[in-house]
Amino acid sequence: MWSIALKTLVADRGKLLTALVGVVFSIVLVNVQGGLFLGFITKAGLLIDNGKADIWIGHKEMHNVDFPRDIPRRWLNRVRGIADVEHAQPYLIGWSDMTLPSGGFESVVVVGVDRESLLGNVWNMKQGRADSILKTDGIIVDECELAKLEFPKMNEVRELGGRRARVVGMSHGIMGFLVAPYVFTTFDRASQYLKKAPGACSYILVQLRDGADMQEACLAIQQRIPDAEVYPRDIFSTISTDFWMTRTGLGISFGAATLLGLLVGLVMVAETMYAMVLDRLGEYGTLKAIGATEKQILSILLIQALIMATAGAICGLAAVSLIQYSFSTPRAPIIIPYWLSLGGCLLVLCICLLSSLLPYLRICKVDPHTVLQS
Amino acid sequence: MIDTCNAAVAVEGLEKAYGSASNSTPVLKGVDFVVRRGECVYLAGPSGSGKTTLLSIIGCILSADHGRVRILDQDVFSLTQKERTILRLNHLGFVFQRFHLIRGLTTVENVCVPLTLQGICLAAARKRALSLLDAVGLADKADSHPRNLSAGQCQRVALARALVANPELILADEPTASLDAANGQEVMKLFRRLTTEEGKTVVLVTHDQRIFSFADRVFWLENGCAVENSSCNGG
Repeated sequence: MWSIALKTLVADRGKLLTALVGVVFSIVLVNVQGGLFLGFITKAGLLIDNGKADIWIGHKEMHNVDFPRDIPRRWLNRVRGIADVEHAQPYLIGWSDMTLPSGGFESVVVVGVDRESLLGNVWNMKQGRADSILKTDGIIVDECELAKLEFPKMNEVRELGGRRARVVGMSHGIMGFLVAPYVFTTFDRASQYLKKAPGACSYILVQLRDGADMQEACLAIQQRIPDAEVYPRDIFSTISTDFWMTRTGLGISFGAATLLGLLVGLVMVAETMYAMVLDRLGEYGTLKAIGATEKQILSILLIQALIMATAGAICGLAAVSLIQYSFSTPRAPIIIPYWLSLGGCLLVLCICLLSSLLPYLRICKVDPHTVLQS
Repeated sequence: MIDTCNAAVAVEGLEKAYGSASNSTPVLKGVDFVVRRGECVYLAGPSGSGKTTLLSIIGCILSADHGRVRILDQDVFSLTQKERTILRLNHLGFVFQRFHLIRGLTTVENVCVPLTLQGICLAAARKRALSLLDAVGLADKADSHPRNLSAGQCQRVALARALVANPELILADEPTASLDAANGQEVMKLFRRLTTEEGKTVVLVTHDQRIFSFADRVFWLENGCAVENSSCNGG
């Protein structure tokens, strides 16, 4: 049956190509849209995912890492008193303006890191070292955001929040969900840039001792500071992601575009398969006259759909890899995990199998007697 | 009551009409005839006389309104749709007027189709198909596509396909209609050989009187009835 299905499919190259285009289109759309979506949404939890803290403590109802409210720094002592806590350090995130050489300003998100532990500090350095922030007036910017900051050079001095700041290092690819560039510096200096009241911080980052139970530690912290919100890293990352998903409609728009692509793929595959079958109704009638059962006819169609889905998926994934390699940037990262590719392929396979049902229904109506009459 | 002893095909009081109940056009009005095993019988008659309809009913691909049809000792109308399909696959071989070979498949692959449908492995099916292509003189065209064959060659491929599953009964619908005289004669010799040498039963629809000499008996269909035409019989 495989042989009949494959050879009759390949015989009509024009229509096969059209169907393959439909499958490839669907695969590319699902993967690239999904990859772009994941790339964007991953940015929402960038500081959390790379911050190396096990637990994030912030204000009540905190919902996004980039929009914190001040909490009292004195809570640190309460947290440090818990047995499972190895380190607890203050963390500051806030908005400030950097003065540009042209005379303008650029809003930046200042991230202040404890100078002892450097917990939550910059990563993926391209120039300088991450601990360069300890240098006098030291700040680290990302090289992907240089254009916005009018291309500062290493050791160039800028004004940040009305104070002196010197570029002592550059990272690569640390671009948040917001349009404002991240600027990393020490906690104390960030307080000055952000004009924070003494004793205020945005978060308390906690690292647990080896073997400590996360749930128990969170519970212990919560009991000691009832006014705080305490989340393990993964959960806070998800909360930050959900913030953008639910408040911006990002998920709906990406999902709708992906669904639309799938529908277009479905229509293309179904239409092409239907056209192929219409073109070969006589042959199917012949098969029925010879003695092909309905099940065998269906299996021919399903095999053809499977072949198209497999060939289309291989071509589609190759195209996806090429697109990802060519177009994925820190600004618009295309993150395609294996489950997305696998899920996309399975989805398209289902679509192809579904598409074969329409022509099957048509073939069921073919009377083999007409073959004798034609 | 007709004598159905040693009958490959026995048709009794067969009636068939097309159209709705209020506006029906009767095609067959009580057809009776018997084809004995190993016979080559022709169904002849003018266009619209119901030859193809009768062949379709014998081939279990069309139902009749009234009457009885026994094919190879089986009452066709008592069989389910699936049983009829299996009967066609295992015991009947069809040769169509326009060959109806499958595009995309080579000659040998076309011949293999009934065996593939029977679930026989590709290698064994190919071996059997090649031997049949050899028998119809097309061994050298095994890997050609039907589009590269002449009409006569296509009909011989169709005949090989009809024979590949070793059916007892072969039904052919105007197999010489698309062929020139020489090719027609060649194909008819093949049909004749099937009955005389291999004991197959052939029921063949035709209106080509040039080939009547190849038949054991000829039934003439007119006004919905079949009459044996002894003057046409060859043997």
